[in-house]
Amino acid sequence: MSQAWLPLITLATSLLVAPLILLLPERAWRARAVLNLSAALLKLLLVGLMVVGLYQGREFAFGFTVVPGVEFLLRVDALGMMFAGLSSLLWLATTVYAIGYLEDSPNRKRFFAFFSLCVASTTGIALAGNFFTFLLFYELLTLSTYPLVVHRGHSAALAAGTVYLRYTLSGGLVLLLGVVALHALVGDITFGEREMLRDLGPEYHSLLIGLFLVLLLGLGVKAALVPLHGWLPRAMVAPAPVSALLHAVAVVKAGAFGIVRLVYDVYGIQLTFELGLLTLLTALSVFTILYASLRALAQQELKPRLAFSTISQVSYIVLGISLFGPFGTIAGLAHLMHQGLMKVTLFYCAGNYAEELGIHRIDELDGAGRRMPLTSLAFTVGALGMIGLPPVAGFISKWYLGIGAVQAGMSWVIAVLVASSLLNAAYFLPILHRLWFRAGPEHGKGQWPEERHLGRFETSSWLLWPTLATALFSLLAGLLAGLPFSPLDLATLVATEEYLP
Amino acid sequence: MTATLLLILTLLWPLLVMLRSPLRMLMEQDALRRPGPRPKLLDIWWASAPLPALALVLWPGETTLVLEGWLLGGVWQLDDARRPWLLFSALLWGLAGIYARGYLMTEQQAAEAGDGDAFRRLAGLALLWPLTLVGNLLLLLAEDIPSFYLGFAVMTFAAYGLVVHADNRDAHLGGRAYLIMALFGEALILGGLLWSAGSADVLTLTALRDGIADAEHGAWMAAILWLGFGVKAGVVGLHVWLPLAHPVAPTPASAVLSGVMIKAGLVGWLSVLPLGDPTAGLEPLGRLVIALGLMSALAAALFGITQRHPKAVLAYSSVSQMGILTALVGIGLIDPALWPALSVAVVLFAAHHGMTKGALFLGVGISEHPPRLPGWLLWPLLVLPAVSLTGALASGLAGKWAFKSVLYEGGHEALVTWLSLAAVGTTLLMARTLWRQWRERGHNAIPLLGTMPLAWLFAIAAATSVPLWLPVVGADSPWPPPDELPSLLWPVGVGLALVGLGFFWLAGITRRRPFVWRLRPGDLWWLYALLARYLGTALKGGAARLEARGMRLRARLVARERAAMVWIDGLPRYERRFRQLAVPLMIGVAVVLLLGFWLG
Repeated sequence: MSQAWLPLITLATSLLVAPLILLLPERAWRARAVLNLSAALLKLLLVGLMVVGLYQGREFAFGFTVVPGVEFLLRVDALGMMFAGLSSLLWLATTVYAIGYLEDSPNRKRFFAFFSLCVASTTGIALAGNFFTFLLFYELLTLSTYPLVVHRGHSAALAAGTVYLRYTLSGGLVLLLGVVALHALVGDITFGEREMLRDLGPEYHSLLIGLFLVLLLGLGVKAALVPLHGWLPRAMVAPAPVSALLHAVAVVKAGAFGIVRLVYDVYGIQLTFELGLLTLLTALSVFTILYASLRALAQQELKPRLAFSTISQVSYIVLGISLFGPFGTIAGLAHLMHQGLMKVTLFYCAGNYAEELGIHRIDELDGAGRRMPLTSLAFTVGALGMIGLPPVAGFISKWYLGIGAVQAGMSWVIAVLVASSLLNAAYFLPILHRLWFRAGPEHGKGQWPEERHLGRFETSSWLLWPTLATALFSLLAGLLAGLPFSPLDLATLVATEEYLP
Repeated sequence: MTATLLLILTLLWPLLVMLRSPLRMLMEQDALRRPGPRPKLLDIWWASAPLPALALVLWPGETTLVLEGWLLGGVWQLDDARRPWLLFSALLWGLAGIYARGYLMTEQQAAEAGDGDAFRRLAGLALLWPLTLVGNLLLLLAEDIPSFYLGFAVMTFAAYGLVVHADNRDAHLGGRAYLIMALFGEALILGGLLWSAGSADVLTLTALRDGIADAEHGAWMAAILWLGFGVKAGVVGLHVWLPLAHPVAPTPASAVLSGVMIKAGLVGWLSVLPLGDPTAGLEPLGRLVIALGLMSALAAALFGITQRHPKAVLAYSSVSQMGILTALVGIGLIDPALWPALSVAVVLFAAHHGMTKGALFLGVGISEHPPRLPGWLLWPLLVLPAVSLTGALASGLAGKWAFKSVLYEGGHEALVTWLSLAAVGTTLLMARTLWRQWRERGHNAIPLLGTMPLAWLFAIAAATSVPLWLPVVGADSPWPPPDELPSLLWPVGVGLALVGLGFFWLAGITRRRPFVWRLRPGDLWWLYALLARYLGTALKGGAARLEARGMRLRARLVARERAAMVWIDGLPRYERRFRQLAVPLMIGVAVVLLLGFWLG
């Protein structure tokens, strides 16, 4: 019995923190930090318990009926656990980072309350056992991230927030329509019960294709598939920890995760394949990968470049799941975690440069490796991972994507992967070159835009340690990919479940 | 057990050596901010990085290390096929490291005295040198594909730091060419590995070779991989980075770049191409490989003799020698039966070229800073490896005989003739190098017992005696029988005659047409750069047009949106009218309803 409550408690850890934080006075930053960190640690522990339970084959589920025919269901499966594990791990890191980043800035209470709410909705998305519950938390995520995006409150932030709301709310509405239509067709859609749609018979196929497109349209907004990506680069006005979380776990990943759920647990990969929808996904993701990489090349500022890189990298996940076969699945799911780790590192670094040295533009980075060696090292790890060089985690994703492409009979995808690697190199290597091989203010040439000395080390410890931790994790996820409980191992577990009924 | 430990230490030790200086710097961070003396970077520990590798090679027996958790499953191996590669690589790395301590002495002293710029550059070298070494060793030892690719990538990218060490315009140009070409190579290798490993569903190099031999598109996979590794091996057309990057690196780095790292391309070919597999069916590719190899061998020699900088001439000589090796690999593709014997010759020739080219590069530094040796001893010592490279003496003679005898057996006389022509070219290149070295010789004598001259002397000794110490399995007596000598030596004779002729003839030409000597190193690179520039301009124009169109579209949409908003804002006007009509309308509806009830 107690096991049924585990998902609920996990959800509650971050959900209940939000009102508690709102009750605390604004200046009680110490109490708030303790509360935030202990909640994050507790959640990490609970997720760890569930992962171990999952490996032992135990079931965790919690549900009640909202209205007859509609059930609220939290359930633990391997796929959800991957996402929950990623979000709880990165929540801990980002909480630490955010405490350091927002030191003595106004409205911290509001920020952390919505931050917790945002993570709660991410957890809810991960643990959702049916489409209704998923939708609930999906919408909650939209609403709870809006205050974070506009946190700074200046006009650019408000404008970006408006664009963000327009995109995501319309997407949510479309998604709602799709879910309701599916509901009308087959009743409550529990994830994993793929036979419901499969048994419908060929006369329904055109309808199913239509519904898939509608659902994809709804989910694609958050997953930032081109041409639905317009909001993402603009949302870069948000503070660095928000961008980091938005890109690595929360919003973009929720969209990608939704597509994964849609393909594997609602339609089932077999049915999606038979309907010819995988080809559509492949085409869409390939276009997104290449287009966003090209756009990233043209960016002069660090964060927008990273934003376009995210758009490109998240499509790797979609590409992976669109390759019919276990290797493609493993690639897509492993990249869900790998991209999260690497991208969060890159955004932390961008935040560190901005906070410590006031750097926003790429050409201001000359010689920053001397001034901030550890941050620059973390950035290097993240960037090399994005290019797909071993031993960083990105290489593992790329390897499995390539193998998956060959096994799905689409060897041409390898050419896309190679092109994307080259493009990634074209926009990341110049940054690395500036960091390490050019002389800058630290060598007595020019000066930093706005230098501060935030801490004993190269910057505040609150900012430095999360950066280094996530960089280390992205390195280890690649270097020791063969160990149990690595992202690759988890992804393999999911893929075996999917392909071996 | 000891061998396994040594294997781990081989890769771990350089990493530890690498981490030493940054850790020390981290601890003394405040000390670095202050002006004043700095710690010594290139100390004796730093030079010890390749020692465990040497110990591993000399340890008898084969060893395999399987690491389950490493990447996708690591398999590192030292077997008899890898032993000679590892031995000569580690030896040259070690010698170059010792040499570097002397070569960079002035920089080191400046850094220790507090010159921040020198310290920065030296710190980069101190970090990236062991890292490049680790990559090189890993790619030699790896049997699983991911580790192999990891080693290759680490070596390639870390070596960038060695190329740009001088931090001047030439160095950055060389580094740029190096990096761009290396990226294309890496991309091709990644694509080829993914394709072939995916088709065969394998993770080890041995299985990959079989997989390519059996695969449906095996020829294409082999071609892509051949091209990818060809960038590193300096195949004609892809070689453009070599003459730009090798001369600008510090001399010891040039030695390892041209001696060892360039061989990584060859190791790549031997690791992935199904050489000696009669079922592979790669004859068309083999013919192409031979043709391109011979083209490299001859064209590089012709272009190389126009160069002024001795290191640039040596770089072209490397391209030329790698062309010979390329042609031999091509023979392995078209005549698989010959490969077992030929592979021995390839290893011997590669080791000979690696050590000799290393000694020659180190010699360039020696002629710039001559040790206290009488000229009659110094210059013959500088000439010795050059003569060996032409194939007239010592290990060069043995190396040449090794492949010629095999090629005669297989009936490839035409190829032998072409390769002899390449040897003529090599003779010219060597004469050119020595001439330029003589013209640019230095006069400030350095002590004979410094690290630099000693490393150089040892390199010469090792280079001339390669067949004596290289542990190649299956090699019989390396020396040619006396009656074969004329056929082996005539190219050198022709070359020397040409040098003599050319000396007078060219002297006349240069007086009249000095442009001949202004052919810039990098040959085709300038063409590529021009094409890239045109392409870039065209792309930028296209992008700007697209952007403009997108902006127009967006503007139109925004205008629509505004109009819609204006319309919505105007709705209250109708509301007022609606309110006025509300009462009559309600009464009307009520009446209609009442009528309905009454009638119904």
